[in-house]
Amino acid sequence: MAYDGRGKGVFIKHKICRFCADPSLPIDYKDPKTLVMFTTERGKIIPRRISGNCAKHQRALALAIKRARNIALLPFTTAKVKLKEY
Amino acid sequence: MRRYEMICIINPNLDAESLNEVVAKLSDIITKLKGFVIKINEWGKKKLAYEVKQFDKGHYILFDYYGNPDTVTTLERNLKLDERVLKYITVKIDDDVDPEELMREERKQEIVAEERHDQAIEEE
Repeated sequence: MAYDGRGKGVFIKHKICRFCADPSLPIDYKDPKTLVMFTTERGKIIPRRISGNCAKHQRALALAIKRARNIALLPFTTAKVKLKEY
Repeated sequence: MRRYEMICIINPNLDAESLNEVVAKLSDIITKLKGFVIKINEWGKKKLAYEVKQFDKGHYILFDYYGNPDTVTTLERNLKLDERVLKYITVKIDDDVDPEELMREERKQEIVAEERHDQAIEEE
């Protein structure tokens, strides 16, 4: 927990890189179940400032997601979500 | 020698026989070019995240092999020409592999697996 410094005593959750915290968690392009957790509903890669990943693991993750997209394990974009929104 | 991993998506409407034919053809190409197939892993019919050549399903097959850069170029050319293959990806896993060492490791794993199997039988 960290103080956000805005004077209202609001606490923000301290983010930890999940791959550093649990080294047994693999980053593998063949395993879409893990990768899906780091993509938005639309299939975009969640940025580091939100997911809290460290730079090293974010790079590996981004590469894995891009490879998974290439062999149709993950979508580039989702049409189903679009229908819901409009 | 380098170690590669290749995943290809094959037409879902093929019967088991022609599927085996494709797999045999691809592993043949690898062995002809002085490569070695370590393992072939069939994931079965899976739903694709997006349509590929108007198919929404595909047979996933994973090849784990080692070979030279020439092996990859020839293999990919063949995959491109083969109409039964919808999509493929090749990923380099290791840059410098000693083939004999790999074979030894494989054997070790087999022995370990056998021992475990024996133990399980004894426990029963």
